[in-house]
Amino acid sequence: MENAKLKIIKKKDVLKFLDSLKKEYDIFVPIEKNGDIRFSKFNSEKDIPWNYRNTKIPPKEIFFPQTETLFSFEAGTSTLSNGSMTFTPIDESKSSAPGNKNYLIFGIRPCDAQAFSLLDKLFGGDDFQDPYYLEKRKQAIIISLACNKPQITCFCTSLKGKPDNEEGADIILFDLGENILTKPITKKGEEFIENLDSWFKEAKKSDVDKKNELMDLSLKKICSGVNLQNIKEKLDEAFDISFWNEIHQKCLGCGICTYLCPTCYCFDITDEIDHVAGGLAPSRGKRIRCWDSCMFPLFTLHASGHNPRLTYKERMRQRIMHKFNYCPENFKEIFCVGCGRCIRNCPVNLDLREVLVSLMSLGSLCKDKKI
Amino acid sequence: MNNPYLPMPVTIKKITIENEARDIKTFDLVFNVKKDNEKFKYTCGQFAEISMLGIGEAPIGIASSPMDEDSVQFTVKKYNTGVVTSALHNLCPGDMIGIRGPYGNGFPMKDFEGKNLVIIGGGFALTTLRSLTRYILHKKNRDHFKDVTVLYGARSPGELIYKSELREWEERDDINVYLTVDRGDENWKGRVGLVPNVLSEVAPSSKNSVALICGPLIMVKFTMLPIIDLGFEPDKIFFSLEMRMKCGIGKCGRCNIGTKYVCKDGPVFTYQELQGLPNEY
Amino acid sequence: MIEKIKEVVKKLFKEDKIDIFIGYGEGTLPLRTTPCFITGPDNIEKLVWNSYCFNNLAVYLPRFFLPQLQKKDLKFPRIGILAKGCDGRSIVGLIKEHQIPRENLYIIGINCSGMIDIEKVQNAVYKMQEVEIVSAKEKSGKVLVENEDNKKVELKKEELLAEVCKNCQYTAPLIYDVLIGEEKRKTKEKERAAFIKEFEKKPLEERWKYFQEQVSKCIRCYACRQACPNCYCKECFADQTRPKWIGATENISDIMFFQIGRILHQAGRCVDCGACVRACPMGIDLRIFTYKLIEDVKEFFGYEAGISLEEAPPLATFKPDDKQEFITEP
Repeated sequence: MENAKLKIIKKKDVLKFLDSLKKEYDIFVPIEKNGDIRFSKFNSEKDIPWNYRNTKIPPKEIFFPQTETLFSFEAGTSTLSNGSMTFTPIDESKSSAPGNKNYLIFGIRPCDAQAFSLLDKLFGGDDFQDPYYLEKRKQAIIISLACNKPQITCFCTSLKGKPDNEEGADIILFDLGENILTKPITKKGEEFIENLDSWFKEAKKSDVDKKNELMDLSLKKICSGVNLQNIKEKLDEAFDISFWNEIHQKCLGCGICTYLCPTCYCFDITDEIDHVAGGLAPSRGKRIRCWDSCMFPLFTLHASGHNPRLTYKERMRQRIMHKFNYCPENFKEIFCVGCGRCIRNCPVNLDLREVLVSLMSLGSLCKDKKI
Repeated sequence: MNNPYLPMPVTIKKITIENEARDIKTFDLVFNVKKDNEKFKYTCGQFAEISMLGIGEAPIGIASSPMDEDSVQFTVKKYNTGVVTSALHNLCPGDMIGIRGPYGNGFPMKDFEGKNLVIIGGGFALTTLRSLTRYILHKKNRDHFKDVTVLYGARSPGELIYKSELREWEERDDINVYLTVDRGDENWKGRVGLVPNVLSEVAPSSKNSVALICGPLIMVKFTMLPIIDLGFEPDKIFFSLEMRMKCGIGKCGRCNIGTKYVCKDGPVFTYQELQGLPNEY
Repeated sequence: MIEKIKEVVKKLFKEDKIDIFIGYGEGTLPLRTTPCFITGPDNIEKLVWNSYCFNNLAVYLPRFFLPQLQKKDLKFPRIGILAKGCDGRSIVGLIKEHQIPRENLYIIGINCSGMIDIEKVQNAVYKMQEVEIVSAKEKSGKVLVENEDNKKVELKKEELLAEVCKNCQYTAPLIYDVLIGEEKRKTKEKERAAFIKEFEKKPLEERWKYFQEQVSKCIRCYACRQACPNCYCKECFADQTRPKWIGATENISDIMFFQIGRILHQAGRCVDCGACVRACPMGIDLRIFTYKLIEDVKEFFGYEAGISLEEAPPLATFKPDDKQEFITEP
């Protein structure tokens, strides 16, 4: 998009700007809470933490919350012969969506915006569509904030990202200090800015120069990287190699890397019931879905007791293969955006970059004997 | 947007106890809403999520034939660790549950036309093969298929399921039925022996034939040797796989074998396809 | 110290006394190390020892001795392990609970001078998240921290010690095959428990509120459980489906049930190593609850976990004069 569409808004006006949109949008912004930053409902009392690096919990939770009600149900006049409920499900896919209000996601990092475009492929798709994710997603406008200061765990440039990556966002913002430079990416973003024209003024050449300078500097700061060229092809041959025998050793098997990953989407579906006070018979309940993790042994445990991914080894392999081989096969995309959350938060410093580097450095992967 | 997670209400019309241990039951389900019945068009080998509100869902293969019009049948084995299967086994006719589906690829019935079918089942896993056999034996379809051989084994005579139907099949002359048990009892007059051994004995021709195998992992594994000896090509051997599933629609991420999702790309795979997949099932 | 460790490990491999050695290797991030599994004398150079070796390595031991491995006729491996005081106490607990055989272990005890709390470093110099630390060097009681703008700050290690390491009473393990460094027992029980005494003085409502506040941060990732050497259950009550004890959501009652359940299962077993607190990505103050339990067990049963191999744990023994008010007076 040509420079003519670049606009400027004063940083000190942003809160007022967002406040004016409150009626029309459910606005999500990064907000500091308990020492961490997390996307939460906009509150005009709280300033945008412009210098924030990234949230601990990825903003995927806005469209794909950790717990979500699929539908609720109530006990009818009759119950089943075993005391459980008869059938009156109430679809919640509409009620969990924003309704008349659109979503405005303000200030998410470009890597997390890119993650949305990956999740779109999973929850969309030709055969089955997931209304819970899509209803919210399609009504949202995504405004990302380019990174002036990447972290040492950032490695987006090894994937498709960079500090001002545009994929997945409708508008991208650049923090120039006193001013915020806005650049529309999609038609939706362009219209959004046009409709709110009074808040913006044309960007000057000096603003654009400053933005370019900041981005050049930022890009240089991403110093960790892995050459992932042909990783998919490499992994095609890698399922049975002895590499997996050691790489998982220090893994504790917790869910941090998957829960905090902006692209991990695996979920569980369970039912929850309420009991009438004092009674045994359930009165109402809901079917919910919640985040699950391939790192948990129960994830694949059959009712018969058989478990195809019995040990840490198989589960670690699944996580790596899923992101870097299965998804590239099924969605033509690596499901990793290089945000570094899994690296930063791993309790044993099991660094994904290191795993990838050693994978890539393996010579031609002649299949070792089955292990 | 159509919501694939919403189950359709069905009523249990009939429950049949299938085995001596009384832990395998067949449920005849009827749709409460007529439109749902039309939506639920399935092929042999597909499955559905059986849904009990407040308890959960379980993926179960469809045991009835697409030609059966009055009800959809599911044969369910109760596992002590299985929350839904245990709860299902406590139900009575007249109770209402939910189903959503049908899911999965099912058997490529069109490709089987004009071929001999060798159907090999073990224990409780006869369910979707029974669907297929019923479909083939239907008078509208029988002519489309050549010889049909059913080889079915269970641990003991009491564990053979669909007994009365098996008897009917045995009496027909357009299907060869071989029943076998690992251990017989005083009333058992039939074969005693393991499925793989009986298969070698019966030795059905692999010429213009396909083999369909469903059973416990161990049985499937040992059946592979004789079936390959008989000359069946890897792309003519079909399996139906089981995996832990939740969504049934390829989203929740747990039932994959490598790049393939058993709920969406399966549960039916040929031996050739399986050879290309990692050994993780 | 690290040279001494390497020397011992090398000797163990040379004399064929161990199959695997578990120690610490260089981390990929500043102020971090990473658990390191060594299978032969060639990789010994990977080992490091510094003030960031905070992981409790005992957590890895039970996986080598699972009963199903024995069924497959596999011989259990002989494992060498580097153990700080707290790791050593965890190992004692695991031996007592028959999760690991003492004869398959070679414990290299090390006298630990305390581990650094990363957050304290971050907070000591910069406000949360505002500046990224890119490197840290440790030298004689000081830590030299460098940020992304090449600014360097020197900090005293003393001031950066993790809460669990302050006033540590058992800096070296009590059971070991070889000890590196001097064994010094400190008796600072009172100071160690001060924060609990302080907390206990608060009114009930306030304590309850604090508990709720803390656990409401939980995201059910189970890092606390997975990092804890004591949490070796084959199937955790939190995962069971028949019966299903807890819902799977982040509803506060579900979370509380999990946290209370897990913490209570630590009664008389927790060695206050701080692994759960450090593993928690959400910064939940779990120690205030686990330590209260330690204090109670000490007070009621006169027992401290991980001190001796012989003394029976309070949950596995009964004495006529045991406290039982909690049974009769609900």
